[in-house]
Amino acid sequence: MFYLSIIFSKIIIFFSRLFKFGSGSTWPGHLALYFNSKFVGKILQKNPHLKIFIITGTNGKTTTVALLKHFLQKNNISCFSNQEGANLLNGVASAIIKNSSFSGRINKQVALFEVDEFNLPLILKEVQPLGIIILNLFRDQLDRYGEVNTIFSRWFDALKNISPSVKIFLNGDDPQLYYLGQKISSPVFYFGLSEEEMPFKKIPHDVDFNYCPFCYQLLSYKKIAYSHLGKFFCQNCGFKPTGIFTLKENPVNFSLKGIYNLYNLTLVFLFLQKVFGLPKEKLKIQIKDFLPVFGRQEKIKYKNRDFYLLLSKNPAGFNQSIDAVLSLTENKKNVFWIILNNRVPDGHDISWIWDVDFKKIFLGAKKIFVSGDRVFDMVIRLKYEETALKKNIIGEENPKKTLKKIIEETKENEKIFILANYSAMLEVRKILVGKKLL
Amino acid sequence: MRVYLGWFYPELMSTYGDRGNIIALSYWAKILGIDLKIVKISLSQPKEIVVKMDLLFMGGAQDKQQEIVNQDLKNNKGEYLKKSIENGTFGLFVCGGYQFLGHYYKTADGTKIPGLSIFDIYTENPGSAFPRLIGDIGIKTRIARSEIVVGFENHGGRTYLVDKNLAFGKVVFGFGNNGLDKTEGIFYKNTIGTYLHGPILPKNPFLTRFFLEKVIEKKYKKKIKPKKFDEEWERKAREKVIKERLK
Repeated sequence: MFYLSIIFSKIIIFFSRLFKFGSGSTWPGHLALYFNSKFVGKILQKNPHLKIFIITGTNGKTTTVALLKHFLQKNNISCFSNQEGANLLNGVASAIIKNSSFSGRINKQVALFEVDEFNLPLILKEVQPLGIIILNLFRDQLDRYGEVNTIFSRWFDALKNISPSVKIFLNGDDPQLYYLGQKISSPVFYFGLSEEEMPFKKIPHDVDFNYCPFCYQLLSYKKIAYSHLGKFFCQNCGFKPTGIFTLKENPVNFSLKGIYNLYNLTLVFLFLQKVFGLPKEKLKIQIKDFLPVFGRQEKIKYKNRDFYLLLSKNPAGFNQSIDAVLSLTENKKNVFWIILNNRVPDGHDISWIWDVDFKKIFLGAKKIFVSGDRVFDMVIRLKYEETALKKNIIGEENPKKTLKKIIEETKENEKIFILANYSAMLEVRKILVGKKLL
Repeated sequence: MRVYLGWFYPELMSTYGDRGNIIALSYWAKILGIDLKIVKISLSQPKEIVVKMDLLFMGGAQDKQQEIVNQDLKNNKGEYLKKSIENGTFGLFVCGGYQFLGHYYKTADGTKIPGLSIFDIYTENPGSAFPRLIGDIGIKTRIARSEIVVGFENHGGRTYLVDKNLAFGKVVFGFGNNGLDKTEGIFYKNTIGTYLHGPILPKNPFLTRFFLEKVIEKKYKKKIKPKKFDEEWERKAREKVIKERLK
């Protein structure tokens, strides 16, 4: 039955590609798990050589996996990962099937599994990783995932019983994740930014963990990177983090903008050094030809305009996208295109757009086009910010019609920055590139 | 015409986008010629500040933040808040902010957390075997009889009114206070408690204006002249949800 599930699933991948049902990122795994619910654990048992690492967190999983792959391949370490978005057990199973022979043998050294934050405990029941990376934890799709404390408890319960040899990499600038590291017995490595890299002094609105995890008093911050990430300390009980790895000097040739990507990069450097012994001097040189993955500051040419696609699906992520655009361009008169959907992968509730700080976007915009299922809510959101730009907010539900308008109202070589949530990003990318990705 | 808007615990009670209500009040205040001063009432603020406000607001948050806030309300600002509401100060209290003002909140594990007993309501979380009440919600209210007020609800606790006549609205679609009796929220003296996120005010500007007009009437004994307003987008936003739910 075990071999049969591999064969069946591989056939599914073949046909799925042949008839363009998609890239087969979840179906084959789904099928294999249907035949044998213990499929993943079983096939991994047959491959004790495989070094498995899990990457989770609210924002930055896909970019982090891409960075890790980039460096591992540059250093001749073979690896594979599950496809972006396919981050439940069936996605992991599909990736394994794709990379295994008919006998279940995996010819790669390393597996990098991007795991949905809610499902981390379920995956850990089937997979024994050597290391777990937790990038951050922000509110995201509250109507689907629940509150951040719910996610946190799930992580805590899963990690406190894990084998003590598993290395845990945590964002030490996040008070709650730092606390997590203090409460588990595994070896913990913290990453973060140096004070010089943190741009803000005042705590922003979109914070989730701004209180002390030990004594529940509000935390003080010396500097803030974004959201509740920063140099924090508790005036009441003296809680203050130590031992956080920082990069100090950032590589100048890193193509991705934004503080959030500095976090991803810092983690990647720490991880590769601690797990694979790769020195950061070497990595700093190897970073130069890294290209953004799709939808994450990806540049797409369309009718001689440069469209930049920035996935923006929760308050922390949206605020970081705005900051990234503002740092990407000196120009104060940019064209933005915001697309807001509320389909299954996005969460139905769009209340969160009111926790995004849109004032900033007006500093760098001359025109803002808005579309998507919830175009009306987004237009109101923008309209209610004080600005002289009101007339230049253009709402139109249909993205195709919006695109036509954008082409009419922009010049050749002009840049257009698209901020879109998940299903909207896939949809607009399909329109611009002309084919379906997932 | 100056109006002081007291915003309770913005750094803790802001998980569900309820800040939009503050933004909406600021936007409409400007249009109506009101000088709206927003006063953030945090843990560190002195309790006396509460009774100086003309309009009060508190949003919803997670259990952990609510525990922190509950301590401050019980030991500190609660009595002043009660005094304000009993004296007819206008207020909007959403979700967690609404639950605080009742007699108690019974958590999923059965612990009873006493509230401020300003509203004659109590809230019980029936436990994890019962799903949270999540989704779009539409209600009819006395404030705007011809309109459906549209929002989004997401709560585990079920709230029960002792006097159902005090309900803020009647459920057209969605769950409301408890998913059973079709009541939504409470309208007590001049204060509204409700489960509606969305947030509630931006999409329903007639409610935003109701608060501002009534505050001016009470404080300055004068009426704001009715005008024609551009609220096309707000109407379309409501209609989109109503159409989805009532088709």
